[in-house]
Amino acid sequence: MREGRRETGGLRCFRRLRPVPPIVSIKDLVKTYPSGTRALDGVSLDIERGEFVVLIGLSGSGKSTLLRCINRLVDPTLGTVIFDGIDVTAADRVAIRRVRRRIGMIFQQFNLVRRSSVFGNVLAGRLGYRSSWRTIASRPSSSDVAAAFENLGRVGIAQRAFSRADALSGGQQQRVGIARALMQKPELMLADEPVASLDPATSHSVMKYLEEINKKDGITVICSLHFLSLARRYGTRVVALKDGRIAFDGRPDAIDERRFKEIYGEDAEEVEIGPERTPPASANDAALRALAADAPDLDPGVGR
Amino acid sequence: MAEYFTARGLPVPLELRRNPLTDWRRLLAIAIVLIVLYIGLNITDINTGRANPAYAFNIIAQLFKWDFSIMTPRDEFETFRDTAWWKMIETIFLGVMATAFAIVVSLPLAFLGARNIMAGNPITQAIYVIVRVMFTIIRSIDVLIVVIVLLVIFGPGNAAGVFGLAFHNVGVLGKLYSEAIEGIDAGPLEAITATGANRLQVVWTAVLPQITNPFISFTIYRLDTNVRLAPILGLVGGGGIGTDLFQSIQLFHYGAAGLIIFMIVFTVATMDFVSAQIRKRLV
Repeated sequence: MREGRRETGGLRCFRRLRPVPPIVSIKDLVKTYPSGTRALDGVSLDIERGEFVVLIGLSGSGKSTLLRCINRLVDPTLGTVIFDGIDVTAADRVAIRRVRRRIGMIFQQFNLVRRSSVFGNVLAGRLGYRSSWRTIASRPSSSDVAAAFENLGRVGIAQRAFSRADALSGGQQQRVGIARALMQKPELMLADEPVASLDPATSHSVMKYLEEINKKDGITVICSLHFLSLARRYGTRVVALKDGRIAFDGRPDAIDERRFKEIYGEDAEEVEIGPERTPPASANDAALRALAADAPDLDPGVGR
Repeated sequence: MAEYFTARGLPVPLELRRNPLTDWRRLLAIAIVLIVLYIGLNITDINTGRANPAYAFNIIAQLFKWDFSIMTPRDEFETFRDTAWWKMIETIFLGVMATAFAIVVSLPLAFLGARNIMAGNPITQAIYVIVRVMFTIIRSIDVLIVVIVLLVIFGPGNAAGVFGLAFHNVGVLGKLYSEAIEGIDAGPLEAITATGANRLQVVWTAVLPQITNPFISFTIYRLDTNVRLAPILGLVGGGGIGTDLFQSIQLFHYGAAGLIIFMIVFTVATMDFVSAQIRKRLV
């Protein structure tokens, strides 16, 4: 772990001389589910530190399985995954937990504990570093508490820290998910369709947080997405999966019409997710309030 | 409806070609039910010839002439502990204690009996199957049978009643709790596992918050049922107010029996109402 950190932190000229080993190295990965579905069919992939890799492909092409093989939420059938020099596929239970805590993950359905507070959800990001006793006694260390507030502040929801998680909107819940992952101080962030349950405007806000942790904190991001427009906008590299194999691997702007049809099939048409927009204009808000003056039950502030 | 298909030259769906009145499956089902009922009537040989309506009305009338002497000590040897109202309170607590004992045993077992907690490893899966089969067997033995068996160990009295009731409830609560655990959202479990937490931490952080409300709801439901069952235990020697009810009927003290029945009905109805109100607010 130290080794890797020092090298990324090192001067650029040294990096040129001695190539940095990839943070994730996947070799001939195969996953066959008990139902007989072959989700991955020989995937090999090296991911360098600092990359923002976008995984694209149809539903069922193996994106989720590939992401889950990296932190072994799914056990691959064949092949190896090396994370920072550690063979994840061969690691025992203790070793795999040590790997997992260095890899953050966010999910399509956010996967927050809905009945718990936002704060409790974020603190859960530290579990891999803490004893079971601390968990049961619910006594987080003061440094964890400070980090929780800091990370919540970073994603802009410190004010809602003590709300129940399911009281938040979808975009806010995903930001809590990001804050929870950041608590792990991860070197790698896996994002499984992080914006598929969100509307376009919120999608961009969540993607921007991912972009920020990639650029500012130097966290490598592997993110599966449905929209090619988002992949082009945020990815430094796009990997396309088709039927459990890699169909494309390269720069986002290299995906033209022909490649697109190769990945998604002949009948596919590219749809755009809306362009980035500023949050709803305040004029709109004023109009709503004017309306609310006439009909009090329409007031957006009432009944919450 | 078949015209839609015939007009277009399409084959008529099988379901439409069947006439429900003459369909042999339906006729067969009706015939089987009638035959079973006819055989049942013959085997059980229900004989109402000895019924005596005049006597019955007399007894029923006596049941409503409540004998309030059972509410106070009747002689210098009896204390308030021998009065009917005290026995009723004792019976309620028979149900409460049985529930408490059942919770203590079934709560940890419920986690071992939840498929999603025990998945992923052949040994834990085997434990899951064993625990669930055990719950089913325990549940299938009726409370009264358990109490009768326990009479051999504890003799007649509250001990046999409480433990008999508790035993049956381990099976019921264990199943209800296990199913509540199986019904939780698996997403948070996955997310907490991904942070590098161990199994205990995952259960503590992601499972417990999701199951507290269903657990409380099921517990109150069983508490309600147990208080309802407790007065019956006395009929087989399990203690509580049922013993007094049984004795009063044997001794032809119908006034006392009627009052005890009323107290039981009142208690059960109150429990029922209160428990429904609490559970409604929990959901």
